[in-house]
Amino acid sequence: MKARETDRGTWRLVAKRDFWYRLRDKGFMISTGITLLVLTGLILLRAYGGGGTPTFTLGLLGPGSTHLGPMVVQAGESQGVTIQTQPVADRAAAEAGLKDGSLDAVLVDGESLLAERDADDQLATAVHDAVVADGIRTTLEANDVPADQIAKILNPPPLPVSSIEPTDPNRDTNSTVAFIAVVLLYGQLFGYGVWVATGVIEEKASRVVEILLSTIRARQLLAGKILGIGALGLLQLAAIATYSIVLATLTGALDFPAHALGTAALAIGWFALGFAFYASLFAVAGSLVSRMEELQNVIVPLNLVILVSFFLSIGATSDPNSTLSLIVSIVPFSSALAMPVRISLGAATPLEVAAALVLSIGSTALLIPLAGRVYSGAVLRTGSKVKLREAWRAAD
Amino acid sequence: MLELTGLSRRFGDVVALDGVTFTVPDGEIVGFVGPNGAGKTTTMRIALGVLEPDAGEVRWDGRLLDAEARRRFGYMPEERGLYPKMKVLEQLVYLARLHGLSRPDASRRAAETIEVLGVAERANDRVENLSLGNQQRVQLAAALVHRPDVLILDEPFSGLDPVGVDALTGVLRGEADGRGVPVVFSSHQLELVERLCDRVVLIDLGRIVAAGTIDELRSSRERRRLRVQVGGAPFDWFDTIPGVRLVEDTPNDGLVLELDDEVDEQRVLDLARGAGDVTHFSRERASLAELFREAVQS
Repeated sequence: MKARETDRGTWRLVAKRDFWYRLRDKGFMISTGITLLVLTGLILLRAYGGGGTPTFTLGLLGPGSTHLGPMVVQAGESQGVTIQTQPVADRAAAEAGLKDGSLDAVLVDGESLLAERDADDQLATAVHDAVVADGIRTTLEANDVPADQIAKILNPPPLPVSSIEPTDPNRDTNSTVAFIAVVLLYGQLFGYGVWVATGVIEEKASRVVEILLSTIRARQLLAGKILGIGALGLLQLAAIATYSIVLATLTGALDFPAHALGTAALAIGWFALGFAFYASLFAVAGSLVSRMEELQNVIVPLNLVILVSFFLSIGATSDPNSTLSLIVSIVPFSSALAMPVRISLGAATPLEVAAALVLSIGSTALLIPLAGRVYSGAVLRTGSKVKLREAWRAAD
Repeated sequence: MLELTGLSRRFGDVVALDGVTFTVPDGEIVGFVGPNGAGKTTTMRIALGVLEPDAGEVRWDGRLLDAEARRRFGYMPEERGLYPKMKVLEQLVYLARLHGLSRPDASRRAAETIEVLGVAERANDRVENLSLGNQQRVQLAAALVHRPDVLILDEPFSGLDPVGVDALTGVLRGEADGRGVPVVFSSHQLELVERLCDRVVLIDLGRIVAAGTIDELRSSRERRRLRVQVGGAPFDWFDTIPGVRLVEDTPNDGLVLELDDEVDEQRVLDLARGAGDVTHFSRERASLAELFREAVQS
């Protein structure tokens, strides 16, 4: 019929309103600002702050300590610790140095370590190794072992390591990127889901929904709202990801931006899928109540499901190959969070990805008409909370 | 012309509407009157397609209503509703667009409508910051902004001060007389309905109990009534004619008599003249309130 054709596009008007209305919302600007600020902090910290190798200063007291100095430095190097040595005149100077923090520990007569409270384990180990090496060298020298052989014994060439599975040199960076992606995805899915619910309640509580429904069918209203809010979520996620990757690349926090770009693209794609799945559920939750105060009660179950999915997906960033991670990445409730992690860490097979896609899209396609029906049945019923079954029947 | 035929609707075990039938001719204002819970809001919601009837149909200009025709309706729900945080003009433009207007048309019409309704200076205020009276005007603007072909208003006068009532009355008459729009509105203010409406539809317990012009409703009364004032007559001067009963004896406005069908009014007048000085003799016109009470009681 002609009429159906002419009102088919009205969801676009609804989507546009929801998109622009929220884009100009103070809450949106503030939350975007905070997210960008936190990410900037994280990136700058990684680029310029700390990191590096731990550095210690060791005081050398007494003649028994002095000749051990170079060996302690060497032992430290082999552990990845930088140790500087500094001769100390006497016990009083040693204690003063420890107290003012210019010394981390003092080696006394090559026999004991003096620290303010506890000597750092890495430092103590280096000193211990040096003492052992010194003992070995003394013994070998006493037995007339040639000096070059002694050097070989004490400084063997590094042990070659080969692995049976190829390793990704960027593994650590990649998991960090995946971790950040999961946190962002979680915030985005939950935050925008709640926005759908509050948007529905706002229309119901203000009763404007009755005017809207006299011009547009409930399903068009629902579709427009979800698409408008979802588009904003997608855009925000893309903007945040672009900003972060550009900043991280410019500051050198990311050595391998191409991979981060890939992860960002994955996260954006899976946000769309996850949001499509959850948004209609959030809309149904919102349509059941008439006042903003009741929002918390109806979204608790959804909140829990997303939260559990979030924690399981965090687990997948460190162990993407476990059976649990595999299941979590395929089930529709959590696949949007866990699958991008597993893909980006190279743990997902094409078959697994396909299964997750089919389940996610399929369940969403099943869910939308059901949700649309409950929403239509509930959205005009103001007053006390509407029961799901009543809403279902009212839509006849 | 808007035609509602045989509308029935139940909610669970409650029968909200039971065969509601009436028409709203072009250019006429129809008052939709009934006690609380009689089915007025349900009827209006069905006419707008917000609610589906279990049985019956709504036709406009002879065609079954479809989504496109409904977008040409203007509606003011009983539960007033607008986006509280949206600006007045922006909101009206949005609603006009939902009703199918193009962006330039919607902007123009929204500006015109708030001008006519006297809220133009509030165009960029959020609705929640307006006074109740102005919110009511914006609500009416929302019903009118797309120049609707049909107006359906649920309790449009409730909460209006006398100035607001006059303004709304003027607007509704303007829409009906000027553009030939069929207008139907519900109200509990019966004097207002009597003054403003071309015809009245009475609904009770989900059924239409009476419908027609007010004169038609009056003439359909079972018995005629006369108001008679006679100076110096004995209190029972009318008693000699069978079929005449006293309904009311007021100190200042004389007696109200009820006449059986066969009684000739002129005989009563003759008798009154014989009894004393007749200072007042008239057919008693039933108020809508009385007609309403009678219709609901029967």
